Amino acid sequence: MTQTGGTAAVSNPSIHSSLSASKPLLLRMQGIVKRYGSVAALSGVDFEVRSGEIHALLGENGAGKTTLMHVLAGLAKADSGSIILSDRPVNLNSALAARRHGIAMVHQHFTLVPAFTASENWALDSPQRAWPALRPFRVTEAAHRAFDHASALGWELPTDTRVADLSIGVQQRIEIVKALATEAKILIFDEPTAVLTGAEIGELFATLRHLREEGRTVILIAHKLAEIQAVADRVTVLRRGSVVASTAVSMTDARQLAAWMTGDPPISSASDPINSSSAPKSAALLASELVVSDDRGNQVLNGITLDASRGEIVGIGGVDGNGQAELAEALAGLRAIDSGSLTWDDEDFDPRGAPRIGYIPQDRRRMGLAITMTVGENLVFDAAREARYRCGPFLRRRALNQLADDLIQQFDIRTSGRSQPVSSLSGGNQQKVVVARALRENPDLVIAMNPTRGLDINATRFVYEQLRAARIRGASIVLISTDMDEIAALSDRAVIISSGKLTPYVLDSRDTAQLGLLLGGFPANSESQH
Amino acid sequence: MTVSKDPEAPISIDQNLPAETKLTPTESSRSWLSGAGRSLAWAAIYFLGFLVLLTATFLVLRIPPLVGLNSLCVGAFGDAHSGHLPALSDTLIEAAPLLLTGLGVVVAWRAGLFSIGGEGQLLMGALAATMLAKHGKHLSPPLLTALMVTSAMLAGSLWGALAGWLRVKRKVQEVISTIMLNYVAKFVVSWLVLGALQEHTHHNPQSESLSNALLFARLLPREWTGGLQTSLHIGVPLAFMAFPIVWLMLFHTRFGFGLRLVGQNAEAAKTARFPVEKLRVQAMAISGALCGLAGVIELLGGATGSLPAEGFSPGWGYTAVPVALLGGLNPAGTLLSALFFGGLTQGCRNLAQFQSVPTVLIYLVQAMAVLAVVGIRAWNARRTGRETN
Repeated sequence: MTQTGGTAAVSNPSIHSSLSASKPLLLRMQGIVKRYGSVAALSGVDFEVRSGEIHALLGENGAGKTTLMHVLAGLAKADSGSIILSDRPVNLNSALAARRHGIAMVHQHFTLVPAFTASENWALDSPQRAWPALRPFRVTEAAHRAFDHASALGWELPTDTRVADLSIGVQQRIEIVKALATEAKILIFDEPTAVLTGAEIGELFATLRHLREEGRTVILIAHKLAEIQAVADRVTVLRRGSVVASTAVSMTDARQLAAWMTGDPPISSASDPINSSSAPKSAALLASELVVSDDRGNQVLNGITLDASRGEIVGIGGVDGNGQAELAEALAGLRAIDSGSLTWDDEDFDPRGAPRIGYIPQDRRRMGLAITMTVGENLVFDAAREARYRCGPFLRRRALNQLADDLIQQFDIRTSGRSQPVSSLSGGNQQKVVVARALRENPDLVIAMNPTRGLDINATRFVYEQLRAARIRGASIVLISTDMDEIAALSDRAVIISSGKLTPYVLDSRDTAQLGLLLGGFPANSESQH
Repeated sequence: MTVSKDPEAPISIDQNLPAETKLTPTESSRSWLSGAGRSLAWAAIYFLGFLVLLTATFLVLRIPPLVGLNSLCVGAFGDAHSGHLPALSDTLIEAAPLLLTGLGVVVAWRAGLFSIGGEGQLLMGALAATMLAKHGKHLSPPLLTALMVTSAMLAGSLWGALAGWLRVKRKVQEVISTIMLNYVAKFVVSWLVLGALQEHTHHNPQSESLSNALLFARLLPREWTGGLQTSLHIGVPLAFMAFPIVWLMLFHTRFGFGLRLVGQNAEAAKTARFPVEKLRVQAMAISGALCGLAGVIELLGGATGSLPAEGFSPGWGYTAVPVALLGGLNPAGTLLSALFFGGLTQGCRNLAQFQSVPTVLIYLVQAMAVLAVVGIRAWNARRTGRETN
């Protein structure tokens, strides 16, 4: 079959991608420059999108992807450069102007009002007639266009439930419908898969293809290579505010994309030797029949048993919200255990003795750092309580400063000094602060939760190296992550957590279908995928 | 099935990506002045802005600006004619309670709490001292004075800790609870002073005047001030001692570190195993102790040495909030800002006396000073505020 295959090609994305190359140019951004203070976020970017394609915008964190799209969506004003839409120069100096030109953005952090229902959120966004002011406001009437789009996509959305009570995947659909209701021709998706589970990602991709078939143009901000290969027709790679490459996805491969993005080959699980042949060691950490409740008193861990030996990384995979946050806190001694036991070398945990715990919490900005305090202060949260860094009630500032400087050097934290606010660091370096603090005293037990979330490849690699080094030192490491590639890359052994229960998972098999079932909460041998 | 590769699809690779794209923020723009120098530069900008506002106010009131400014300065710092010491003494006396209550706001703020309870804590401090004086007459005066100071601080800290406890255990917003506790304190004082604590003739709505032996000694000998009796008393240096103590506590102790961490990010503090709730209650207790100290200093340093049923405080506990805000919510800034407010109050009194302008000008000018600072800060934040990608 050739590309003249017509309608039959619709079902085949790879043919589509080659077709799209001949589609007419829809959008051209030329020489876009955007500076924040003295930092150039975009230094003269040329970006072209053809009509009716899914165009991926690839780059590391801070490469300028989101900034470029904010310029397109009228949320940020470029310092120089021009935007040409359908051969006509346009001035997109406000979100409203962008909307009038048929550009809509589906944000990474949704812009829905949590206390409103889906219909109310849609109605809120609908164009209003200012007069007569006293005309009654009917939600369903105002939201009718959104309803039309939802049914066109074949979605049955719960329109009368508070958005806050809905799952993230459903919220994203509501957000997509909201964007469609503006009759957008160009839809920008800002890392839409970051919040989704495996099955939801597949459904999102189907939606994106559907939108393309309707003749819309989709721009997808992404930094996962596999996703780009799965769904995009063309890709533009940004690095440090400049375009590195722009090509059809079919004409490149993951290795090439990663090289463009970083200058380095991608991390693969094959590149790291996991010493699985080492003699079985006796478990140091043993958690038996743990029952733990969340903040609202709902039981989220229903009697799980977990063990970890010295020098072993135990990976716990799973989709967010299945009890792993509570498990991490329970293991770190931050959450009370309803029943069950937690032992180290067959003795109960001793808060002042064994094991020394290094904890990398899941959300560095919320739990790991005081963002307004200095790098030095953030490095010594625990040290400030230790007797050797104190003299009576007073802190030994010099010793603490020395410690901070040592950690900055040892963990390669890029900062102009320990007295800089930690907010001035990049995300990767902020995470290094958290990791440095957790691993500082060679802890016996490391609990790391999503330690590389939102990090670029180099920072991710650094965190991996640190965790592996801790493992070689003989630490027991419990790695909790939503990223199965991360689990596979690091773990000696893996389990899947789902609805507060653990299921062992054989890393070697990498059976994605089985993995999908496990993540979705189905037992490993389930036949039906209801 | 064959997939034909479209020859049109170009691969445009920008090989000339500059290796040194200027992505790192240049430090030159920031480090042209050290931290302290920058603070001083800002202080100068604030001061200039304040002078502009003041000049405008004088013009509206039809006072020649130079005459008005001079009158303010003479009120705050004195002049060669009547000597500097009496005016400075009054300025310091005005500044002392504002410094203590302002530091109280700072300590609570640093733990992430917005306490407006200085007024009530101050009143409870003065009340506790008054009650102790009534029942401790058999004690030797120096001991009784020391006990009064201690009990006032204790009462203030309990009043503050109550709001802290309500916050951490009952999730009552401290902004609400401290204001409510101010009213409770105010009416408890009125009730007791008009009842059990009223002076023995039961004519005046105030407590028994304390004996001179209990009151704070005057510090400045008459020879220094040309025979004038000045009211600078030993309570003023006591109040100013709070500044280095609070500063040391906040920035050089483990306790202060935990307290600031709780204020900046309570969740991170909890994750790092700091006792968040305990630290918050303790911060409110310290805040209250400072305000209680302000109360007893005013009681023992005042002219009458008695607690009136109403109007003991002209609102020190409330003025503390703008004092602390103007001081950037840090101890050193609050010291300067309390001195500024003290000087301004004295200056405006002088202005009102000799230029026949209403005394409310004090509050007008104070409010404008705060607005000037808030405005400049907002402008500065907007200027430097940068989005992150």
